[in-house]
Parts: sequence; C-alpha cells; structure tokens
Amino acid sequence: MLKSLTRAVSIAARLTNKATTSASVSHAAEPLVRSALCAPTSATIRPFTRSIWMMCGKNDNRLLTTKHTVPSCGCGGLHTEGDKAFVEFLSEEIKEEKKIQKSKALPKMSGGWELELNGTEAKLTRSISGEKVTVTFNVNNSIPPNMEEEPEQGQKAEENEPDVVSTPNFVIELTKQGAKNSLVFDCHFPEDEISHGEGEEESDIFTIREVSFQPEGEEDWKETSYTLNTDSLDWALYDHLMDFLADRGVDNTFADELIELSTALEHQEYIKFLEDLNGFIKCQ
Amino acid sequence: MVVLLRNLQNVVPIRRARLRKDVEMLKRILGVQRFDMGIVCVDNRKIQHINNIYRRKNMPTDVLSFPFYEDLRPGKLPCALHRDEYNLGDIFLGVEYVMQQCQKRSWDFYGTLTVVTAHGICHLLGYRHETEEEWDEMFQKENYILSEFNRLTGSHLEPLTKRCTGDG
Repeated sequence: MLKSLTRAVSIAARLTNKATTSASVSHAAEPLVRSALCAPTSATIRPFTRSIWMMCGKNDNRLLTTKHTVPSCGCGGLHTEGDKAFVEFLSEEIKEEKKIQKSKALPKMSGGWELELNGTEAKLTRSISGEKVTVTFNVNNSIPPNMEEEPEQGQKAEENEPDVVSTPNFVIELTKQGAKNSLVFDCHFPEDEISHGEGEEESDIFTIREVSFQPEGEEDWKETSYTLNTDSLDWALYDHLMDFLADRGVDNTFADELIELSTALEHQEYIKFLEDLNGFIKCQ
Repeated sequence: MVVLLRNLQNVVPIRRARLRKDVEMLKRILGVQRFDMGIVCVDNRKIQHINNIYRRKNMPTDVLSFPFYEDLRPGKLPCALHRDEYNLGDIFLGVEYVMQQCQKRSWDFYGTLTVVTAHGICHLLGYRHETEEEWDEMFQKENYILSEFNRLTGSHLEPLTKRCTGDG
C-alpha cells in the first residue's frame, strides 16, 4: 500500500512540475492525488498527505482544485476548458494568418475581367465583340496535397515549407449573340506544373479536359450533349482550341493570374472561416 | 509520330497551331514523321536554369536539345525496334530569348522559331558544331531543311549555324 501510494504521489509531483506549462497535465494528475487522499488515516502515510497539502498552498493550488465545465455566459451552450484553449489557439492562428495575408483586397485580373463572388465561388466575365466569356471556379478543395518530401536533417522545416497555392478546376463558357448553346471548356491545372520549387515540370500551365455545347445559362449540364474528351484528341485540334481560348483572353497569363486570385480568395475565406469558428465557440 | 507541344511560360504568346504546323513540316522534310518529339516553350529564367544545369552556362539561350539517342552518327536515323523507341527527344525553345533577338534585329518571330527548331532537330539527329568539320556538316543539313521549307512555304529562312557558333 505504502509502496503504491509513494508511486502515486511521486507521479503526481512529477506531473505537477510539468503542469506549470500545461494546464491539461495538472488535470491528469487529479485522480491520482484524490486516491492518495482517500487512503485510510495512518501515521505512516502522514508525510505524504502533508506533502500533498503543501502542494495546495497559496502559490500552487491547481492540483486539488476542480475545474468546472459548466455554462458560464448564459447562452445555454457548453463551455469547457478545451473550448477556452481552442479559442486561444484560433485567435493566435487568425493573427498569424492575417500577418501573412498580402492584402485584404483581392488581386485584379488584367484584361478587363469583371469579378463576381458568391461565397467560395468566383465568376469572371468579359465581353469581346459580341461574345461573352465567363470563367467560374470554386476555391473549395482547390489546394493540392503537399507532395514535398520531408525536410532533410539540419534544414528547418519552416524554410522548406512550400507556399499554399490554390489551383481550382475552372469552367469557361463562351456565348455568341443569337446562338442557342454556349461552348463550354472544362479546364484544370495539372498537378506537376504547380511549382513546388525548381522541379523539371513539363506540363502546360493549364489544360483543357473536356469540351461540349450546353444550353446557355443552365446550371446543370446536359449529359446527353456530346462531350469531347481531350485525352485521346488529335493534337492539332487541341492546339486550335487553346489558340481559340487565347484569342478570348484565356491564356497562360490569365491562368497565372487566376491562381493568384484563387489563392487570395481561398486565404480570405479560410480566415473568415476561422473567425466564424472562433465566434461560434465563444457564442458571439 | 507525335509532336508533344508544351508551353510553360507566359511571357510570349504562342500560336500553338502555327508552331505545330511548322514543326510537322520540318519533320516531314527530314523524313522523321514516325518519330515522336517534344517541343517545350520556356522563358529566360527557365532556359537559363536548364542551361546552367546541363551545360554549366548560366545564361539564357535560344534552344537546348535533349536527344533520345545520344550517340547517333549525323544523318543516320535511329534504328527503333519498339513503339516507345520511336522518339527523337525533346527540344526546349527559349521563346523569350528568341523574341528579344527578333525585336533587336527585326526578324519574324515564327520564322526564327522555325530556324531555331530546325537547329534543335539537327542536334537530336546527331549533328554537332564543335569542330569546323562538324559545323560545316550541320550547316549543310540546316541549309537543306530550310531551303525545302522555303520552297514549300515561300519563306526566306537561313540556317542558325550561319548566325552563331558553338552554342545550342
């Protein structure tokens, strides 16, 4: 009995030392200490109980103090110590993210594109000589997984950390005056092109995946419309399609600017999400 | 068989269909239609990087060739046995560098790109210009290709070996 108590108290003491930096550790120590206090009264165990009471002095009363996890703001919601730590973490994260945010305003696209936002979806519109070009993309799930290798020994992880870049799939819709259908291009950024450094990437900056005609302005595409898949396409036809898009302002410069815009929008939405999450937890 | 065209830069707008048509014609003139070839358009930064890695020359250039067959005798076509061996290799075109040269000298951009590509294809086929003899041999080949190209298209293009030595 004595032996096990000694062990319990010494563990409690060890945990208390650590607890100066971590609140959750002092919680872990509580059950151990309680079981020591509940032991039958005996002269042989007094030194230990005293030492425990000494720990509960003015300077260090954490060990025997119960932390309450009851609602405190009257909102009816639960407010735990974990919530408090979460809010602190989020506040710090928001501060850090705002620090690295280049500008609160989104970057402008060159070429007279008008931007319209609807949550995480962005729509760029441009008119040229009776033709309307609309490019839409959604920043959700637009950050490819980090394929970088682990940093080498001696190399700081932070230095090696690649920038977060949003490379969303995007849809180009071309409408001609008087035409029943729009010509729709489903485009994407091939993964090996997304610069993780000085890799010898050899894909185009963006590629066309599919081309089809769709009724103008329809939200849902008709599955019955013939869809040209570029995987098995004549290369000359593919090049003409790319030149056709370039003539309408969708070229490599546009694609690079779209990445910048999407990255800034994704970051803005991420910060907004963190703030909403912070407010939700705090019941604000 | 296929010309695999890649445009990795945004400094110079590239008409892909035009470039492909010109490269296909060069391949036909050389009788290498059944071989695959990669054409990669890059900017100064990228070609300088590649030039530094593979040739220890830390400067941008107009063309860099990476032959699939490294020890070809000039003028001899590779003996390919399998489908994936019908490959001549890749040509990196420094399109930003070429554009700058064209602006300086008032040359036609696509014409110059054809000249530069013809030079690159000659390297893929084993031609070199390190010695005077090699230079002469390569010049003759380029001259033949471009005079055929000129005859078919009405252009007036001249070999790159006439303009420069020891590079590419």
